Amino acid sequence: MAQHDTPSDTPFGDPKARFEAGLFGMWLFLLVLAVVFISTIIGYLVVRIDNGAAFIPADAPKPPLLLLVSTGVLLVSSVTMQKALRAGRVGDPRQGGLMVATLALALAFLIAQGVAWRDLYEQNLAISDNLYAWTFYVLTGLHAAHVLGGLPPMLITTWRASRAAYGPDDHRGITYCAMYWHFLDGIWVVLYATLVLGSR
Amino acid sequence: MTTLDSRPVVTEVKDNYLTFTRGLLSWIFTLDHKRIGVMYLFAVLGSFFVGGVMALLVRTKLLFPGKVEWMTADEYNKAFTLHGAIMVFLVIIPSIPAALGNFVLPIMLGAKDVAFPRMNLFSFYLWVVGAACAVYSLMAGGFDTGWTFYTPYSTQYGAGGTIPVLVGVFILGFSSIFTGVNFIVTIHKLRPPGMTWFRMPLFLWALYATALIQILATPVLGITVALLVIERAFNIGIFDPSMGGDPVLFQHFFWFYSHPAVYIMILPGMGIISELIAVHSHRHIFGYRFIAFSSVAIAIFSFLVWGHHMFTSGQSPLMNVLFSAITFSVAIPSAVKVFNWLATLYKGSIAFNTPMLYALSFMFLFTIGGLTGIPLAVLSTDIHLHDTYFVVAHFHYVMMGSALIAMIGGLHHWWPKMFGVMYNEFWGKIACGLVFVGFNMTFFTQFMLGSQGMPRRYYMYQPEFQIYHHISTGGSYIMALGFLITAIYLIHSLFAGKKAPANPWGGASLEWQCTSPPPHDNFATTPRVGDCYDFSAVRWDEKQQGYVIDTEAHLAAASSGKGH
Repeated sequence: MAQHDTPSDTPFGDPKARFEAGLFGMWLFLLVLAVVFISTIIGYLVVRIDNGAAFIPADAPKPPLLLLVSTGVLLVSSVTMQKALRAGRVGDPRQGGLMVATLALALAFLIAQGVAWRDLYEQNLAISDNLYAWTFYVLTGLHAAHVLGGLPPMLITTWRASRAAYGPDDHRGITYCAMYWHFLDGIWVVLYATLVLGSR
Repeated sequence: MTTLDSRPVVTEVKDNYLTFTRGLLSWIFTLDHKRIGVMYLFAVLGSFFVGGVMALLVRTKLLFPGKVEWMTADEYNKAFTLHGAIMVFLVIIPSIPAALGNFVLPIMLGAKDVAFPRMNLFSFYLWVVGAACAVYSLMAGGFDTGWTFYTPYSTQYGAGGTIPVLVGVFILGFSSIFTGVNFIVTIHKLRPPGMTWFRMPLFLWALYATALIQILATPVLGITVALLVIERAFNIGIFDPSMGGDPVLFQHFFWFYSHPAVYIMILPGMGIISELIAVHSHRHIFGYRFIAFSSVAIAIFSFLVWGHHMFTSGQSPLMNVLFSAITFSVAIPSAVKVFNWLATLYKGSIAFNTPMLYALSFMFLFTIGGLTGIPLAVLSTDIHLHDTYFVVAHFHYVMMGSALIAMIGGLHHWWPKMFGVMYNEFWGKIACGLVFVGFNMTFFTQFMLGSQGMPRRYYMYQPEFQIYHHISTGGSYIMALGFLITAIYLIHSLFAGKKAPANPWGGASLEWQCTSPPPHDNFATTPRVGDCYDFSAVRWDEKQQGYVIDTEAHLAAASSGKGH
């Protein structure tokens, strides 16, 4: 890549202006994701309400209690993420440890979701059985896919935080990461509540 | 004519963005919005060629009412589906924002680039991957669902390439969303000092309104096609009525995106027309704020009318009445634009060059396209016209006769800026005339076909319709000839075209104040901004064979409010 463009990866001369633009872009991105989840939930509600009690087959297992645990894990990860962000803003070296904790909790969440899926599957609930199963797997899967997609940027952020790279002058990456993470946390609570209410 | 002796506004720059760095890699990894715009442009025009060939195949088949040996009914279904899907997702949606918008938007703002150059390049490669999925789907058996992918046909039947093309549409949606996010942030954060919202060129207002739709509607399409893919893969889903799902829900989801998508296609075109009309009639745009707000109004209405695609789907009569009424109201902001353009032309000194001819074509064709939307919004007449050639003619007048014609007009308008060469004006006018005549021959006849009851998408038809199909197909060949000539003289100009001045048309917006082609970083310093529709300080300069703008007079006029 010898003949690369000059490094014009931003039109902003002022780092502060660049950060503001990034924040704005991130809010728009979260708005896009919110539309994705809201329309999915609307789709779920339409078929759920259309079918009434018939939506839930007589022998269908309820959403596993393990999801309650994963919800807790995710909420705690939001707390560690926020603490990491606060440390990052002031250049506090504890940002590294807090990001590692957040990453570990994210992985724990994904594992818990996987185990919950396996439990349901072992109780003979396959995705192609009925819409009750289909919507459960698809909705939780959609969220898990977004957590999974958040892992690469989170890995980079953790790696940089472990070298205490974030400080008062530059905490863009860790801020964007935190915004995304809190969003996924909030969306999960809504999604989970919808699924629990929908399976009654 | 006196030559202006004030210092030349345009400083001669040896390097431009095309020659700044060389070699294939410098293009593949470029973060320059101008190069990304040019790559989009050629990708989109290439897709336009493929989609056009498909259209010609369909039209040629329709010369004959019965079976033909060289194209089976299945192949015919695939050809028109491919035509629709390519033209919508690969051509018209990205054509103006991603190709022309990418090139022009930052320069119009006097900025060095869009807010997120990396994301811009990423969005281009997403387009490439999406297009590759569409190509792959052809090898996997093609797709024949129509571009609307209605269930249960798309989930339970449909040719083998349905899943790959849906994945392609999903990825193209991402590309579109990223472009939208980029443009919104750029317009908010990178306007130069002095450029208030109401000093922006109207093209930017149009791109802004478009971007709003792109980020709010496209995610719905994304999740819809994702659910469709899962449903097709597992043979069950929320759109499957046999398991308690709801196929009409698919139609709601699909049109919640795809109706706004119609405005993703037309709004940037309207923005281009606002520029062309003002610049080529050398007259201040009439009713600036009305045009600006009508773009936003159209964007808002676009989210409230999707149900008019579903009048015969069995949704409740109350819903039908509401959607019908709101649909009528779209006519108001659209007409506001047309009348303001007309008022701009009035007493203007109109230059009948190729961009202007395309702009006038647009006004004529868009008016027909818009007005024929009214009988389709009326519930009683829509029952008769639904799924006939009347609908086909209507949306071609809007999507092709308006959106695409505006794109071609804009391409001619900014061609000298993009490549630093002038195209052949004589052949430009001839080609524009051929396209205009061919277009009306092709699609006006389809209004008659449709009102007499010829359904759309049919392989065979009653012999009494044959004369209309003959005229229509003949028109499509004339149009193809026009586009062929356009391709030839544009490519020819790249190698042998006359060198373009910085300002060949006499525009006053910022892109005409840097060299043609622009330097790598557009402007050495952030330019000062006047009223981009005030042409009083623009003079023809014999020596440069182009227009020059007296910056001081231009700025003074803007601050004193002259020229309005």
